[in-house]
Amino acid sequence: VIDPLQTILIVAALVLALVTGVYVALDRSPDRVLIALLALLEAGLVVQAVVGIAQVVDGSGDPTITFVGYLLAALVVLPLGLLWSLGEHSRGATAVLIVALVTVAFLVLRLVQIHADA
Amino acid sequence: MPTPDAGVAPRRSTATGIGRALVATYAVFALAASARSAVQLLTKASEAPLAYALSAVAAVVYILATLGLAEVGPRPRALAWGAVGFELVGVLTVGTLTVLDPELFPDATVWSAYGQGYGYLPLVLPFLGIAWLLRTRPRG
Repeated sequence: VIDPLQTILIVAALVLALVTGVYVALDRSPDRVLIALLALLEAGLVVQAVVGIAQVVDGSGDPTITFVGYLLAALVVLPLGLLWSLGEHSRGATAVLIVALVTVAFLVLRLVQIHADA
Repeated sequence: MPTPDAGVAPRRSTATGIGRALVATYAVFALAASARSAVQLLTKASEAPLAYALSAVAAVVYILATLGLAEVGPRPRALAWGAVGFELVGVLTVGTLTVLDPELFPDATVWSAYGQGYGYLPLVLPFLGIAWLLRTRPRG
């Protein structure tokens, strides 16, 4: 979709996954700083979805259902993961965020690949 | 969550602690398999009916495993055992068949080549699920 943004999104998601790993190791629950960083990443994903869908609408994007599906899936993973994570205070609950962040990185990577194939 | 047998045996939850991360992982696969199956069935159902039917079965199995481990429904532990057991048999059977005869399923499913397309996580996941169910099993 947009090259620099997607690279940043993948790197940011993986770095945040590592940061969350430190939280898990220290047995710390997500605090405001971590949640703010997740919100920032989510904002980037919203930009990606808006730009991606705009490209599909004006004909320059990849008009497949798979492409749009990945764009939208990438939006819901972090909010759902955060909700499930905040339901409990434990290492395992915090580790849910790692699952969500790695999933986001994978989804954005797949988007880049789908776009390259098209 | 209220349970009928709570007073009888010390009951251990599958949805807390590490179980929460396991449920999240199963939920990701439920979402991925459902989406893949829906796209395949909606856009090209006639191309490879067997592979696409299998994708749909895998999607249902992941959904049921997620619900069971998250302790949704009346008998979540039985549901989780059934779904995770089916998942193990499924990934081993489909994995072996697709490695022996790659032409069998013209289009990939989650379980093709033991889940190679998903970093072999589909192969690892049922073992993690079974280990977790054993670890949290009720003690009389």
